[in-house]
Amino acid sequence: MREVRVAFVLILLSCGPKGLSGGPGELRINLGTEPPTLDWTLATDNVSVTVIEQLMRGLMVLDADLQPQPALAERWEVSKDGRIYTFHLRQDVRWSDGVPLHADQFVFSWCRLLAPATAAEYAYFLFPILGAQAFNAGEITDPNQLGIRALGAHVLRIELEAPLVYFPSLTTFMVTFPGRADLIERYGDAWTEPGHLQTLGPFVLDEWEHEYRLVLRANDHYYLDRPPLDRIVGYMVAEATTALILFEQGVLDIVRLPPLEIRRYLDHPMYRSKPQLRGYYYGFNTKESPFDDVRVRRAFAHAIDRSEFPQVLKGGEVPSSSWIPPGMPHHNAAIGTHFDPDKARALLAEAGIDPETLPPVRAVYNSEQRHKLVAENVQAQWRRNLGIEIELENREWKVFLRELNVSPPALYRLGWGADFPDPDNFMNLFTSHSANNHTGWANARFDQLVQDAARESDPVRRQVLYDGAQRILLEEEVPIIPFFVRAINLLVAERVKNFELNAMDIFFLDRVVAE
Amino acid sequence: MRLSGWIGASLLLGLLVFALLGDRMGSHRFDEQRIEHSLQGPSTEYWLGTDALGRDQWARVAAGAKISLLIAVGSTFFSLLIGLGLGGISGYLGGRTDRWLMRFVDLVYSLPDVLVIILLIEVLHAGLGDVPDLYRRQLALVLALGGVGWVSIARLVRGLVLQAREEAWVEAAHALGMRNRRLLLRHIFPNISGPILVTFTFRIPAAILTESIVSFIGLGIQPPFASWGVLASDGFAAMRSYPHLVLYPSLAISITLLAFHLLGDALRDLLDPRVRGIGTRV
Repeated sequence: MREVRVAFVLILLSCGPKGLSGGPGELRINLGTEPPTLDWTLATDNVSVTVIEQLMRGLMVLDADLQPQPALAERWEVSKDGRIYTFHLRQDVRWSDGVPLHADQFVFSWCRLLAPATAAEYAYFLFPILGAQAFNAGEITDPNQLGIRALGAHVLRIELEAPLVYFPSLTTFMVTFPGRADLIERYGDAWTEPGHLQTLGPFVLDEWEHEYRLVLRANDHYYLDRPPLDRIVGYMVAEATTALILFEQGVLDIVRLPPLEIRRYLDHPMYRSKPQLRGYYYGFNTKESPFDDVRVRRAFAHAIDRSEFPQVLKGGEVPSSSWIPPGMPHHNAAIGTHFDPDKARALLAEAGIDPETLPPVRAVYNSEQRHKLVAENVQAQWRRNLGIEIELENREWKVFLRELNVSPPALYRLGWGADFPDPDNFMNLFTSHSANNHTGWANARFDQLVQDAARESDPVRRQVLYDGAQRILLEEEVPIIPFFVRAINLLVAERVKNFELNAMDIFFLDRVVAE
Repeated sequence: MRLSGWIGASLLLGLLVFALLGDRMGSHRFDEQRIEHSLQGPSTEYWLGTDALGRDQWARVAAGAKISLLIAVGSTFFSLLIGLGLGGISGYLGGRTDRWLMRFVDLVYSLPDVLVIILLIEVLHAGLGDVPDLYRRQLALVLALGGVGWVSIARLVRGLVLQAREEAWVEAAHALGMRNRRLLLRHIFPNISGPILVTFTFRIPAAILTESIVSFIGLGIQPPFASWGVLASDGFAAMRSYPHLVLYPSLAISITLLAFHLLGDALRDLLDPRVRGIGTRV
């Protein structure tokens, strides 16, 4: 792999900054890797999201402050009981091949997401819809029994199992975008290739040279003003340091800073940083000794000094004891365990654990520089504050995920980035029915509070519900220890104007200008 | 021995002392984190600077020396042992033994190294259950790296033995009634030691690098311990801002390589009977 990469860099360098320098109207970014897919029903990773966000639009779209705003839907109505949403689509929307938008395209796409044969990871996103979970499980096979219905060409009627206050937010996420049955039927899996793929967002796919670069161009059929950019070129340079060198040579316009390079750019005019709705935590396997004892889990949580993380990573991380991250509605900074080594040792003694005789505890993280730094730091913190030895192991990402699903280690690191800006997206993760809950922990009171909060439209009462749920999660039962929220750190060239950072790492490129 | 040989030997001796005593010479332990001192350049307190967690780079390179040298030298010796044995027998006996042994060597050669190393380490890990983690990982690495490294040595040795076998002095020794084993060990091996020593010195840095690859996928040495290869590849990620992180571990690897080369070269001249005493002393 390395040879390939070096050869690629040499090609880029030998073409020189001149050969690849972007003219006005052209933006050059680094995607980092090949997007695994551009099929928005199947995509799950942030590289694919970055590209798809430029190509497509959904019923709603997030604005720069992450508030959902009407997009393909110009307005919507909610029934009195909060269960039925009626979306009225814009009449002037056309796909890039001129085909008009039809409500059936939503019905098709949503049914495809839920169909068991599609096996989409994000199918659970639409489980609030009537019959969706049973349909996905194969218990009902007739899509007409689902609460998804087109009333004419421009009206979409959605019936939910129960009221859900954040439902409009869900429709900003890519898996809810409309789809074209005719294209998928004609081209099969190749429907996302250039020439086949038709989209209705500000940009369309122009070229895709696999493992090298992907080119988007402005969509002439876009229903809003044509974007100021003519072209976006997304290179796939895997090595962050290499991408940085390319930025310094003027070959890239926007680049992510590798963690250890941030300090050199802190005062640079091109440096931009923003904390994200992106939690970083360590989870326990609560089924096995020693973490089947809640006192041991609480001892480990009290032995962590979160103020060390920003000093280690130096990328604008914000320590957070609350699982609902700062910047998210219903965040509460006062909730969670705080650094108290005396209390931690007392809890450990109370649980009858002698650090001298305890066999080393295994902690697993996925192979990445920043995770290794955090792991080495907490290893030292737990040894210093509790006298407990931690044995670290790292795994490649896919192997790591499989291990979490099959036999979770005693301690593991994970993160969670918001799919939509609502606390439910974070709190739902640790309910007993969540596939992303690897702790083995289940709590009926917690489940109930999270469910009630999802249906509560009054913000004050909702805050009380989430505070209660967070206290169970972080102070009483402690299946996880939140560490901090991550920040993005970018360098943006001076020729790029109107590029705004947001807390969800979405690239809004439809108003960006490249001079 | 030549002067360059003495230089190589003293470099190696220096490395050995550094590996054994280095982490006690500085004022900090290799795993002591002082985050407020992170990412400093070399100073009187931290001779080679500090890393992102504020650990003393001198102590880390010294602790890494112990790990890297042990794994590199251990695994290379192990593969030399197998390679000499199989290659020597194969080349000396020839005929059917040679054919079968070489087909076996071909078979092992055709397997991808990293894959075999991963499999061996997994098996060895399970087999070394009660040994403390660091030693278990080191031993597994020595056996696994050695377990794939012997193949090319065996081929080389076989070729050299085949060639030597036809020489007049072997025939003479035979005529004097010398037994096979004695002939192989006392006469043929010393005569072919030159190229073997050179290969030996080449394999040491290769083993150091392979170890860092294996560590990257989680099967090698785990934190807080770090081998030179891991230190260098971690430092590489910050090369533009903090070059001292990649420079010193790489320098340590280079010095090791140089030392083994100088010594190996001089030893070859010293041990090769054909050049012994013919005035190569400079």
